[in-house]
Amino acid sequence: MRLNPIFVCVPLIFAFVNGCTKTAPKEVRDVSVEARAYYKAHADFFVEASPADLPKDLNWEDGHEQPEFASPEAKRGGTLRFYIDDFPRTLRFVGPDANGSFRGFILDNVALTLIQKQPNTAQYFPGLAKEWALGSDGRTMYFRLDPEARYSDGVPVKAGDYFFAFFFYRSTYINDPWSNIFYSENFTRIIKYDDYTIAITWKEAKPDVYDKLGSSMPVPEHFYKELGPDFPQRYQWQIEPTTGPYTVLPDDIHKGSSIEVSRIKNWWANDKRFYRYRFNYDRMHFDVIRDPNKALEAFKRGDLDIFGPIIPDTWYNKIPDDDPTIRQGYIHKATFYNEIPVPNYGLYLNQKMPLLNNSDIRIGIAYAANFDLVDQTFFRGDYTRMQTSADGYAEVPFPNIHARPFSIERALESFAKAGFVNRGPDGILVDVKGQRLALTVTTGYERFRDVLTILKQEAAKAGLELNIEILDATTADKKMQEKQHQIAFTGYNIPPEKYPRYRDFFHSANSKPQTNNLTMTADAEMDKLIEQYDRTSSMDEIRRLATAIEIRIYEDAAFIPAFKAPFYRHAYWRWIRWPKDFNVRLSDYAWTYGLDWIDESLKKETAEARSSGKTYPPAIEVYDKWKPKTGIPIQAAP
Amino acid sequence: MHFRLNPLTQRKLQRFRSIKRGFWSFLILSILLLAAAAGELLINSRALVVKYQGHYYFPTYTAFHPGTVFGENYSYESNYRQLKVRFARERQGNWVLMPPVPFNPIENDFPPGIFPPTRPSLAEWHYLGTDTTGRDVLARLFYGFRIAMVFSLLFMALVYLIGVTVGCAMGYFGGTFDLLAQRVVEIWSNIPFLYIVIIIASILTPNLGVLLAVVVLFSWTGMTYYMRTVTYREKARDYVAAAQVLGASTSRIIFQHILPNSLSTIVTFIPFTLASATTLLTALDFLGFGLPPPTPSWGELLHQGTSNLQAPWIVTSTFLALVFVLSLATFIGEAIREAFDPKKFTIYK
Repeated sequence: MRLNPIFVCVPLIFAFVNGCTKTAPKEVRDVSVEARAYYKAHADFFVEASPADLPKDLNWEDGHEQPEFASPEAKRGGTLRFYIDDFPRTLRFVGPDANGSFRGFILDNVALTLIQKQPNTAQYFPGLAKEWALGSDGRTMYFRLDPEARYSDGVPVKAGDYFFAFFFYRSTYINDPWSNIFYSENFTRIIKYDDYTIAITWKEAKPDVYDKLGSSMPVPEHFYKELGPDFPQRYQWQIEPTTGPYTVLPDDIHKGSSIEVSRIKNWWANDKRFYRYRFNYDRMHFDVIRDPNKALEAFKRGDLDIFGPIIPDTWYNKIPDDDPTIRQGYIHKATFYNEIPVPNYGLYLNQKMPLLNNSDIRIGIAYAANFDLVDQTFFRGDYTRMQTSADGYAEVPFPNIHARPFSIERALESFAKAGFVNRGPDGILVDVKGQRLALTVTTGYERFRDVLTILKQEAAKAGLELNIEILDATTADKKMQEKQHQIAFTGYNIPPEKYPRYRDFFHSANSKPQTNNLTMTADAEMDKLIEQYDRTSSMDEIRRLATAIEIRIYEDAAFIPAFKAPFYRHAYWRWIRWPKDFNVRLSDYAWTYGLDWIDESLKKETAEARSSGKTYPPAIEVYDKWKPKTGIPIQAAP
Repeated sequence: MHFRLNPLTQRKLQRFRSIKRGFWSFLILSILLLAAAAGELLINSRALVVKYQGHYYFPTYTAFHPGTVFGENYSYESNYRQLKVRFARERQGNWVLMPPVPFNPIENDFPPGIFPPTRPSLAEWHYLGTDTTGRDVLARLFYGFRIAMVFSLLFMALVYLIGVTVGCAMGYFGGTFDLLAQRVVEIWSNIPFLYIVIIIASILTPNLGVLLAVVVLFSWTGMTYYMRTVTYREKARDYVAAAQVLGASTSRIIFQHILPNSLSTIVTFIPFTLASATTLLTALDFLGFGLPPPTPSWGELLHQGTSNLQAPWIVTSTFLALVFVLSLATFIGEAIREAFDPKKFTIYK
């Protein structure tokens, strides 16, 4: 038999490649030497001091006056069954692909920061630090670490891990430019007084310096000994020891199909105030279910314990109140009003484009955008109109600024000022030169397709033609970032900060490609306001300037606010129990603060009831403790 | 050029007419196509005739009439359904004659207090109900059919034009040209067409022209194989040799002699090409890579229907419509294939 040459070649090539790569054994790295050298080279940033150097006049706080927010009825134990729509692409906390949604369950919601925010009062309680104080410069915070704090591998958390954190996040090994920039540009110093006392300094005094500095996390130096250029691959599926209650055990990673997080036995904060009665499940099991409709069916069958957050269409059509599982009281439905900054959904009008450079046309478009009808129909009256570019900041409200309501007359008046007086044969306005008032709305939201068809129909009544361009999300984002759009329909997730950010969206310095200034706003007065706003450290000033900026945004009409939901919705089997108020004011999902628990006896009882046909009264609850008290009327704008 | 049907073709047509299922399917599809061409008279939000203060208006094909023309207080397009109700109430001799289905395929009809999709209702004139944004399902089906047919017919014309030309050339010239062209076709047909469409659809929202161009670009290759074979066969026949001896030019031989004799091959493919083009457009729309919203389309309706099974009228009516039209095309195709089957008329000795 003659061998075909190709079959002979392939093994040879493999052998050759293998020979080349397997030359040297893997070196044993220890990055701590490099880290020490780095501290020395940046001695003005990494400062070693003695306990005697600690300022004497500090006003130490320990959050003891804050109320607990978990339910004392909570029982620990059991396994929660839940789903994720895609398997996490890595278990690293930083580096490529590390910003996936699963990391909430292993990091953001569970790992402890220096101090933690009480989610009802927005004040602070101890985390890894048991005491803290703000320095007289208003930008340095002092922390006394809790000596009991341990990583999940039993190693105590010490000041050195905070030094290492800065080395780690600034290192190019982690392949994470965002972290590199964030940890290089915003912090100016870290001081170690002893193993359990540190001070960190932010670049400037700001009202939310507690959030900015208190949210720092240590990085366990002993775990990252092998840090090097191969970090992304080497640590791809290794889970960093955590200070929080949950971690992933290696045996529970079933790539592509399921993953489980397990509670740490004898977690160091188990019975501390603010942590008892929380993080109650022993295990949380996540199945990968890629289609939300399938996940809903699995939930209704009883394979999943909690489902949500739920959008209105699913809430009313796919798990309606008269669904058998709801009617028989097996599954409960809950609507919870929270109070957090909402995503800034809206139309972003690119002022560099013809037609849109005319403010009369922009104002006309604002009057011709019938988001009111969208809220009433597509969102079934559940969503309300977004009023400004930054709704939902409890401490920076804008009670007197309202989005322009839908008004054909006002839209026509405004378009007429821009020379669009007559309607063409199809009802769309034309100017004297015969130019039609036609613009394209670009979006990456397939799920809001119906929103745009409603806007298009309604705008035509005011003589405005909106052409709809629904692109793949990445492509749409690219087009907007390059400022090639006319009108962008999009929204950004807003971090739960104390006050809004305006520089990103409205400062002329960002009126260029690859920024979030999608309106291409370049306005000297706006710049002046934003610069003052960024400099000030007083909350009153921040409120005053934010209002001035919002008025400017309103007058400019380049951003047209769309809609917001001041609540989230979940459905859960009746054996999942919640605190009396269901959840806390600053929660974005029901599970963020780990307040729920499983009642095994109820679960058994329900299983028996389902087989015997016994039913319970239906439970469809609305928790409106944090609902805005006065319904803000949509007011006719000046 | 005068094109007279030869007796053979006449016999084929006669035979086609005698195959009842295919022939009736052909008639029904033709009627549907005619109806679609005049669709604005059947399914439209604009009235057929309005009599207002002694004047007659025929708004169907004219420029829009603002509401102010008929005494309404708005300047946008008149809502003729409301006008009809108002005129009936006022009893001043004014009247409106609406088409049988008084909705256009892109208008949202939100009845107060009910959320779409609404179920089929004779009283509301939504004979097949509405979709998730309150658009009439029947109107969207009908205009979706029209767009699918326009797409399919243009697709067929273009694919055959390119496919037949290239295929004929390959068969007629043969030799090196044939060899090279075949390789090109082979390579070309191995490009994963669906991915190309998806990539293009995600970077620009394709309109009918762009979508057609992309689809045709990757679909003409199939036809070349058949035409190449047929041309090879015909070229070897005596009548072609005779024409060559008489000094006929290449183009004359191809267009006057070979092509008419290979028509039967092309004709049998037509209904199947139509069906596959319709399916293709529907599939692309279903996946969200088709025509931009709010273009009425079957794929988009199917997508809505499958994700809203609690509103079964959407998916049921679309599915039935699709099955109906594809069955018609298949029946016609079968009948043509049978009627044009050469075995009926050739006797091999």
